[in-house]
Amino acid sequence: MSDSVIITGLTLGYLLLVLIVGLRANAGQSSSLEGYVAGGRHVGLLVLFFILGAEIFSAFAFLGAPGWAYGKGVPALYIIAYLTLAVIVWWLIAPYISRLGRRHGFLTQAEFLAACYPTRGNLLGLFIGIISVLAMIPYLTIQIAGAGMLFEAATSGIVPFWLGSLLACGVVAAYVYASGLHGIGWTNLLQGVMMVFIAWFLGLATADQFFGGVGEMFRQIQQEAPEYLTMPGAQGMGWGAFSTAILVSALGCVMWPHIFMKFYSARSERTLKRVFVLYPLYSYLLIPLLFVGFAGIVVLADQPLDSPDEVLLTLVVKMADFPAWLIGLALSGALAAAMSTAANLAHTSATILVRDIGQNLPIGRNLPEARVLKLTRGGVIVISLAAYLLALANPASLVSLLLGAYGIVVQLLPMLLGALFWRRASRAAAFIGLGVGAAVTLYYQFLGGSPFGWHPGFCGLIVNSALFVAVSFATKRQETRSPADALSPR
Amino acid sequence: MSRNSLPSKGMLIYFGVCTLAMVWPGALIANRIEPMILGLPFFIFWYVAWVFVLFIGLVIAYRQESGEEVDDE
Repeated sequence: MSDSVIITGLTLGYLLLVLIVGLRANAGQSSSLEGYVAGGRHVGLLVLFFILGAEIFSAFAFLGAPGWAYGKGVPALYIIAYLTLAVIVWWLIAPYISRLGRRHGFLTQAEFLAACYPTRGNLLGLFIGIISVLAMIPYLTIQIAGAGMLFEAATSGIVPFWLGSLLACGVVAAYVYASGLHGIGWTNLLQGVMMVFIAWFLGLATADQFFGGVGEMFRQIQQEAPEYLTMPGAQGMGWGAFSTAILVSALGCVMWPHIFMKFYSARSERTLKRVFVLYPLYSYLLIPLLFVGFAGIVVLADQPLDSPDEVLLTLVVKMADFPAWLIGLALSGALAAAMSTAANLAHTSATILVRDIGQNLPIGRNLPEARVLKLTRGGVIVISLAAYLLALANPASLVSLLLGAYGIVVQLLPMLLGALFWRRASRAAAFIGLGVGAAVTLYYQFLGGSPFGWHPGFCGLIVNSALFVAVSFATKRQETRSPADALSPR
Repeated sequence: MSRNSLPSKGMLIYFGVCTLAMVWPGALIANRIEPMILGLPFFIFWYVAWVFVLFIGLVIAYRQESGEEVDDE
């Protein structure tokens, strides 16, 4: 049997396993909207830990992260830094979000903010809904395209791009459609464990194969290309760009709707906090994947790659002398990363599409819950199909759309913090801050030239927060409670 | 909304130190290759270590906040 057939067979077997686990998660589940979207607000420690873990580590962990280490060197550590620091932000605000969600029945991020800052015709909710979906569909597309690319490369073309991405997308859509958050929970547990083991195995095996160990590998890089091992790295990423990228990513991480909405699903605030206690350890998953990128610096010194993101595939599939079953497992691990993120994105986008966009339009008001649930499940299929078609078309503007839309989503953070903790927070000030902050972010994002090379989103957040605070103080307001507190009947 | 689950001042300082250690200017002092620890260049080891420091801090914060409550899981 040829190697490619073994690799293909192993990977298809893995996809089948994920599909079975995902479909079986449906058993014995009540068919309420809250159950489908938020697991009935009753998800426990282990499953929630892996939902959050596996949804954050996407195809980027196996492709982009090693690519950063290979192309730039230690600036790649920004990923580990921001994922770790994001936990601090979660720790400080997630329990409140979970509690208010339970009390007021919120299922989405837009519902939370729209309740704290009411607008006529719920324009704010509609706006957040549209921007969120615009950010998440390109993100989903990238996962699906990543899966197709991995398939094609690892099976030497037996499974072409279109089929590989279709398989991954189809499996994800099927179990999210059938089982909702329960399906995501159990499959993410499986995929999360898979990713951790494969990442470490792969990282250590690669260092061992080419250098005889991790220590030896870094000694050799130190001799041949020491610039990769200290800041500013091989391509000169300044401290300002590095630090602000960490800070804005850590702060913005909580604003991704698929992460924010998971806070609603926790069984209790204690469960949430336990997840966060353990969470930093999950970011160690990236260390071995960065090793693979670092290995590429020396191994590929004479024949540098045009596209750094291919470093892991090149080393593992083409250069290393790994047995076929190991390559098959590696592919499954990388697919696990892409699919577990894709499942959450499809699930969250469909929920937002129906609850924040559909139900805010005149035709969608006052729908019975059973109908909303049906529409949400249909939305999963529609969103997945749209993302698949986008992956095939691969429009050049996809990444710009992702950066632009997510750049705006991050600017919702100051008004969220204001709603939770600040009794003076004024609605007008929140909107002015959001508008100007988003404009500043988009300006620097697409036209460049941000001061000191800072991250565009960071510049936006500073202007946004300053305006929010200043205008709030200038507005007469006699509230004794923050907007979120004012919602609660005491 | 009760405020009793807000972290203590000590915890907020701890979080602040962890943050500063991973960005400018804290990370400046770690920007070198030697000494290599556990086979890792010092700058990489620095980040691996601070992830663990934050983990320990969260364990302490969790115990502080939950006090002597009985486990509910």
